[in-house]
Amino acid sequence: MRHELRPEDIEVFSEAITHFFNTCTGETANVRSAYLIEHGPAVLWNDFNGLIEISGAYTGSVCFSAPRALLSHVLLKMGESVFTDDRHADIVGEIANTLSGRARRHFGEGLSIAPPRLLNYGEQSLPNISGNLPYAIPLGWHGYEASLVVQLAPGP
Amino acid sequence: MSLHNILSMMIVDDSMIIRNRIARLVAGPTLPHINIAGLAANGEMAVELARDSRPDLITMDLTMPLLDGEACIERIIDFLPETKILVVSALADKATALRAIKKGASGFLHKPFTDEELLDSLLELID
Repeated sequence: MRHELRPEDIEVFSEAITHFFNTCTGETANVRSAYLIEHGPAVLWNDFNGLIEISGAYTGSVCFSAPRALLSHVLLKMGESVFTDDRHADIVGEIANTLSGRARRHFGEGLSIAPPRLLNYGEQSLPNISGNLPYAIPLGWHGYEASLVVQLAPGP
Repeated sequence: MSLHNILSMMIVDDSMIIRNRIARLVAGPTLPHINIAGLAANGEMAVELARDSRPDLITMDLTMPLLDGEACIERIIDFLPETKILVVSALADKATALRAIKKGASGFLHKPFTDEELLDSLLELID
């Protein structure tokens, strides 16, 4: 399997995470070094996983995976007062969408982004769309742990 | 657009969190009184709602199911050429913003946005 993303490609997503938390919560997330998931599928272990499928000049996916408590706290910071499963599913998808959209500054409009969808419990791992190994970007915020999993390759 | 008229506004976004957030900010003290004419979760719903409610202002997401924001702008501007549309989207490349403006949008705000950024963008639109 290939892993063709360059460090500057990954940095775009790390910067997008930092920008999102600073802008929407006023508080900085601790975005740690990205690592390649070399063995086995990209298993998601968090309560909510928002997936964006990528097409166009690139193929792959971007998935934001977070525990309920982190998302509840983000909802609170954004002024929400309702904390149902639907709202958590909505915000995890919106975060995945916002991070992917910001990456178009770097990748250009050829990075086509589908509306977000929620990975349910039946889907234990990310679909390997791109044929590339995925990268995980772990982050900490308010003591919660989450991650962004990116798999991306030039399109067909 | 005069600040003395009561304006109506439609909010279009597939995220309920974003629709609610924009509606809360619009209802706050910074802007002149604006009636929320409707909320739409996709482009098709937005076109239908725009025909019925004929809003003065629209905030418009781009990445949406059924009908995307760009197509939605084209259709709405066709029958409501005076309506001011503020695109509120995560799509951060310049080409997308330029295309939206060419299709009839009056402004573009990138997600994620602060409360102040949204209010400033709306104030610019209604000035």
